[in-house]
Amino acid sequence: MSLLELESVSKRLVHGGRGVIVLDNASLGLDAGELVAVWGMRGSGRTTLLRVAAGIDTPDSGSVRFDGRDLAEHGEQLLGREIGYCQKSFCSTQGQVAVDEVIVGLLVNGVPPAQARVRTREALQRVDGEHLGTRRLAELDSGERIRLSIARALSLKPRLLVIDEPVSGVDLLERDGILLLLRSVADEGIAVLMTVGDLTGLSGADRSLTIGDGDLSGSTRRELAPVLPLRPAAGLQASG
Amino acid sequence: MHSSINWALLGLVIERPSYAYELAQRFERTYKDALTLSSASHAYAALGTLKERGLVEELPGTKGSRQPKPHYRATAMGLEEYHRWLIGQVAEERRRQRVFQLQLTALTRDPAQAMKILEDYERACLDETCTTLIAGSEEVPPDDGRDLQARLIAEEKRLAVGAKIAWAHYARRELKALGAARAARTDQTQP
Repeated sequence: MSLLELESVSKRLVHGGRGVIVLDNASLGLDAGELVAVWGMRGSGRTTLLRVAAGIDTPDSGSVRFDGRDLAEHGEQLLGREIGYCQKSFCSTQGQVAVDEVIVGLLVNGVPPAQARVRTREALQRVDGEHLGTRRLAELDSGERIRLSIARALSLKPRLLVIDEPVSGVDLLERDGILLLLRSVADEGIAVLMTVGDLTGLSGADRSLTIGDGDLSGSTRRELAPVLPLRPAAGLQASG
Repeated sequence: MHSSINWALLGLVIERPSYAYELAQRFERTYKDALTLSSASHAYAALGTLKERGLVEELPGTKGSRQPKPHYRATAMGLEEYHRWLIGQVAEERRRQRVFQLQLTALTRDPAQAMKILEDYERACLDETCTTLIAGSEEVPPDDGRDLQARLIAEEKRLAVGAKIAWAHYARRELKALGAARAARTDQTQP
């Protein structure tokens, strides 16, 4: 059993007054320590796939299970704890500087202030973002914002990191730095599911998939992938 | 001159003039499994061909008794021909891709079969993206030419595979639409 299991998931959304199928019988398995990237064009359903996988949205049919638990029932308890969802937008009510964004999540989850400060510093270090701590949110560029959002998610010690377009709008050199960061997160044993709008963002993934018209294509399960991961992920035996 | 080995060896001489044995070793380090020399003597034979064609020449003073290993450097014509051959490779790649696309579109009479092939093609391309290294993921000294070489190769591979995936994605959508249109026509004609 995979850590994350999407089984025959379908989802319909209303666009311009008409129903559109954005996920059509999609299945996906993701193991601990795997980095899976999904490419799709705008409107392909890639963000919906992530929101369903993270338990933010529920599917119309099919099931999403995390470590055997149905997200329809347990999603609220898991999201923001075992499941980290990264996005580049920040809530200004949580503070004006970068460090506030990370520490608030910890305090809300009941982490004592002294410990929260330590974990915030560690999370920022983990993403090479120590220098971001006192920066105002409005001053951060795309790459810095995504590093901060990863730090925010990692501070809560997730087992699954779901991240929407981490390299969108990021310049070339910074793009590779972020892909390497996500690769290293997976190598530590955290499952990473990300979407990319630019096909060059698929590099370094253990598996790459495409999505379009609700169809998820590619090696949707690890055992279907003929290519061995670039590096054996933590806690996994390389398949033969 | 059609041999990829000869052209590759000429590239190495252009990169740094040297003698045959060192070139053979550098060839193996550079091209690994992409191109293979049958033996070290293959490099000697290839250098002989390049010299006959005036693409390389012996460096003066490297063949004497005190320095028995003749060193080779590229001639001006060698540089010019290498440049021309490299550009020709772009056209060759484009030609091969076009042949594949034409062969595939021969299957449009049977969209379901073409879809299946495209699915497999797209999957092969997707799997290939996973073998593309991210810049900075290998420990190579930044002032070493290999660092730039690795980054250029990786980026070219990313862009090339990306273009194929995008094309396969587009072709699948078109074939799906074609299949649906034909099915609708068949339904209309049936009593």
